[in-house]
Amino acid sequence: MTDVMKKTLLIVVVAVVGLAVAGLVAWHNLSPEVSRVRIDKAKIAELKGMVRLCAVDFYEDVPVRASVGSRHMFGRVSLTGSVSFDIEKIKLTERDDTIFVTLPPEIVEVYEATSPQSYEVIDTWNDRFLRSSNVTTAEENKIKAKVKANFRKAVYAKGYVRRARKEAVTNLANLFSALTRRPVVVTDPTPGGTPPGH
Amino acid sequence: MKLLRKLQSVVLLSLLFMTASCRNEMPLDSVLYSEVKSVKKIVLAQMSVSKMATVRDLPLNEAKGTKQTIAALTDAVKIGDRVAVYSYNTYLRAYMSFADFSLGDLHVDDYAKTITIELPEIDVEFQGRDMEVREEHYRVTGLRSQINAVERAKLKEAMNVSLKEEVENNREFKRRLVEKAKEKAEDYFSTLLARDGYTVIVNFKYD
Repeated sequence: MTDVMKKTLLIVVVAVVGLAVAGLVAWHNLSPEVSRVRIDKAKIAELKGMVRLCAVDFYEDVPVRASVGSRHMFGRVSLTGSVSFDIEKIKLTERDDTIFVTLPPEIVEVYEATSPQSYEVIDTWNDRFLRSSNVTTAEENKIKAKVKANFRKAVYAKGYVRRARKEAVTNLANLFSALTRRPVVVTDPTPGGTPPGH
Repeated sequence: MKLLRKLQSVVLLSLLFMTASCRNEMPLDSVLYSEVKSVKKIVLAQMSVSKMATVRDLPLNEAKGTKQTIAALTDAVKIGDRVAVYSYNTYLRAYMSFADFSLGDLHVDDYAKTITIELPEIDVEFQGRDMEVREEHYRVTGLRSQINAVERAKLKEAMNVSLKEEVENNREFKRRLVEKAKEKAEDYFSTLLARDGYTVIVNFKYD
């Protein structure tokens, strides 16, 4: 075998090996990603009709700080919700030409937002050395229920409900007046609303 | 001496005032971002959509490609099992904005004894989702790591992305919600406007 032949053979071998390695790398990179999660299709759980006047929508990012014994958790959650009024059950009373309406109790709804990264757990730790920092689902749900309850109280304390009731009085008067073409008087028996526990 | 006392009282008063101001500025709770807006919506229907996800090892017979095969082989040699199923609900609502509703949208025909109302277009939006997740099943045995809060939060995020894609691509969700909302609106406004033998006709703009 001449030197030229040897060199040619070497180049061919190197090229073949190179191509094989490149092929293997490409095959590996193009292969489907690993996922140990299977997400099922969404199902409609409930569909209900309602007639609610929504006066205020809110959105807030709040920190989630909690401790379960020596275990601690810190995160952030985006909460969204609204203050609305069930106008389906409103009874209109008439006196002379005027219609009288009493504003019903408010419905305060608080949910976790559906915008991207609405719930993030930033850190979990245990004060005891080498102990697990794991927070179970039940514990986490309890923490979140507390965050939600506190936020609901804050909705009243910050005056969102008062503002919603005030605007609902004007909105209802305008709406019913436009629909009935008669003067409408809306009265609010509880301008500050009814906070939880009252 | 008098001047000193006066100065002392001024300083004390200032401190008292500053403390009071600080108290007023103290937030009621910790808030990172806040947005409140007045809206003029009539919500007519709500849909609750449930989503479920399963966390489990990758079976070797279902593995495709090198990455999944390597992962499935690694899972196979691990001691114990790691399986969990989680679900939660997301809420959508159908509403109409009555900000643009005017007197011109209501026609009364005394001759034909009809009242016709032109209602605004019905829109659909995501209202929010459950804060809590339901743990439908949980079995972590042997030397396997527990499913922690960080992993659950990431899982919920992935479920949320998947749900939004589904709602966007499958018109059935919005169609059923709008249908229900129209049904409710027709029922409510017909009852509200009905009087002296008049027939109420409910129409929707842009229909």
